[in-house]
Amino acid sequence: MKRRYLVLLFFLIAATVNAQEKKRSGSDKKRKSAAYNKKAKEDDKFLEKQWWLGFKAGPNLSKVSVDKSYAVVSPTNYDASSIGKTYKNFSLMGSQATLEVSFYFKGFLISFQPTYQRSRFEYSNQFNWMDTIPEHNVALNYHQEQKLSYAVLPLLVKYDFLHGRLRPYVQLGIYSALLLDATTIVTVSGVDQASGGANEFKNEPIIVGSKDLFAKSHWGLLGGVGLNYNLGNNVRLNFDVSYKYGMSNISSTKNRYSSDRLSGVGDAMDDLTLDNVAVTLGCLFPLRFLSSGFKTLDKK
Amino acid sequence: MLKKYYSLLLFVLGVSLFSGCSEKSNPAFDQQNFASIFDNSKFDASYFPIDMRETPDGGYIVLGGRRLSENSDFAGIYLLKADQYGKFVKEIEVPASTGVYPVGKLVEYQTKYYFFCMDAQTLQAQIANVDALLEAVSVTPVQGNLTYPAAASFANNNFILLSYNNNDKQSVISVLNTDGGILKTKGYDIGVGSDDQIITEKYVIEHYLRTGRQWPFEAGVMANGLYYFNGFYNYTFSLVFTNAASDDPSNVAQGQSDKGGLSGVSYLGANKFALSRFSYGNNYFLPGKDIPGGDPASSDFGGFTLPELVADAPVKILQAKTDTKNALVYASNTKSKQIGLYFYEQETGTFISSRYLGFSNPYEISSLIQTSDGGLAVCGTTYLAGRFPRICIFKISKDELNGQLSK
Repeated sequence: MKRRYLVLLFFLIAATVNAQEKKRSGSDKKRKSAAYNKKAKEDDKFLEKQWWLGFKAGPNLSKVSVDKSYAVVSPTNYDASSIGKTYKNFSLMGSQATLEVSFYFKGFLISFQPTYQRSRFEYSNQFNWMDTIPEHNVALNYHQEQKLSYAVLPLLVKYDFLHGRLRPYVQLGIYSALLLDATTIVTVSGVDQASGGANEFKNEPIIVGSKDLFAKSHWGLLGGVGLNYNLGNNVRLNFDVSYKYGMSNISSTKNRYSSDRLSGVGDAMDDLTLDNVAVTLGCLFPLRFLSSGFKTLDKK
Repeated sequence: MLKKYYSLLLFVLGVSLFSGCSEKSNPAFDQQNFASIFDNSKFDASYFPIDMRETPDGGYIVLGGRRLSENSDFAGIYLLKADQYGKFVKEIEVPASTGVYPVGKLVEYQTKYYFFCMDAQTLQAQIANVDALLEAVSVTPVQGNLTYPAAASFANNNFILLSYNNNDKQSVISVLNTDGGILKTKGYDIGVGSDDQIITEKYVIEHYLRTGRQWPFEAGVMANGLYYFNGFYNYTFSLVFTNAASDDPSNVAQGQSDKGGLSGVSYLGANKFALSRFSYGNNYFLPGKDIPGGDPASSDFGGFTLPELVADAPVKILQAKTDTKNALVYASNTKSKQIGLYFYEQETGTFISSRYLGFSNPYEISSLIQTSDGGLAVCGTTYLAGRFPRICIFKISKDELNGQLSK
């Protein structure tokens, strides 16, 4: 429900920004008519529209939120919360590469940014067996790392604040992510006191393909800020920070226990939403030119 | 103005479309598929399941055994209730003074779940029952002098019990009513005559103490009224057919001492059985076998060999029905410490597919049932941390079962 309110908020912001731009563009027109000659007017008119094509890449960090928890181990004489999963957010670095196609019109850009995104997150849980004899004590730690690859298809609206060489912008949008691949790595370690001393051990990681355990697609909202720097030779350098806010479950509700290997290890995926913060660097090229020499008027 | 609202409308439609296609929670899925391990944090706790039944509320009752103490002779009785999602609801550790050594099958009759156990002092067989919510366990001694219950089944509102008479060294087949009254009983010598033959008795006693091999004892009745039991008879582990009255059995599928015999017996109808056999450590599945007359040797039955199974593996056989197929599901323990499920067509005995449950920790089969939703539930023992025996249940959905049988 909380996430639905955010959609509404996003809606209101979009409407407000739209209204302000309309007001601003009206006053701009008046100033231009007084300051520029006919040629300048034509140039301005040309610059009102532009297509941009670019590529950007960078690291990302992920966070998951649990909607409903699931477990294979069902305790009979202790509280289930004591063996609950502990998620570590924004701890494992992923990466992403994006192809950007944007259409600029009067300060706004409509941008489609198909992205290959590799996200990682981790969680752990602990089990203890003991009794009144101090040596009768075994502790096991299960550490699970999830590696997910998505084809992310975001549709964004960007707004440029300034129109000089340095152009900061804000962006808001919506995305759909299609699952490409998933891998789960389970590492079991522990301390066994029962052998006569503290016997610390760490087993070889268990690596299992887990694509079936995740939803084939999910969706979310996307917001961010960035900077474009015009190099003056038709190329813009782009620095972008964006936050993807997952709105739907990334786990497969039907196939939660379909991996006999992972169920056997005692792992079951929770119902989760995935958030992701990404920092990217890239460059953009204009696709509309004034003359055959690839000259644009956008040389500020 | 209108354009602005078009774009907003487009955005709302986009959100609705994405939202509509997203993964939704569905409690039905949680019920159709699950894996559960019922853990107790006590270091010296030890549980093993014997049989399992689905309850009317969609949950499960597991009849199991538990370690009583380091010096106890017999395993204690343990009952566990799980809900329809496989989550722990309740357990009962029945005091040893009430009974020990639980024996399956766990039989649903009217509103109760029945099983056999024995008195820890007199070793007399007892009929125990419990309700679906595990509110109370009630125990009734079997009349007469039946000791060491080994296996039981239920047919025509009566129990068929295989037990062991340690005084006369006999395997005893009996028919009992639900109050424990004996309707029929007949004993057959296990074959103890001289010093070197006492080994047969040793096998039996070690089974009860759980210090040795767990023998696949079985008892039941055929459509023609003949009773059968899989147990020790005449120095061998044999499948014996009898009317429970004559001194000599009607027919015997003979084993080879303790080295060969039948490890799984499931009656299909007429003279046909789904069988599995062991022979000097090897394992064979026989999905659909008419037992010939004239005291045949089970070593001549042939079958599909399964070298992936542990030596002399325990085997459970289930007749499962889907919308399109009647299947036989064999479940056993693999050398890779998993529970192997092997699916065969019942009519032809043709192998269809296999599936393996469990990983990392060892898993062993105890029981499998077909659930009311058309799926399978598999109950077994797993060893958490590689050492703590705990009960586990795997639930396989009807869709998965259909998929398994369509391969």
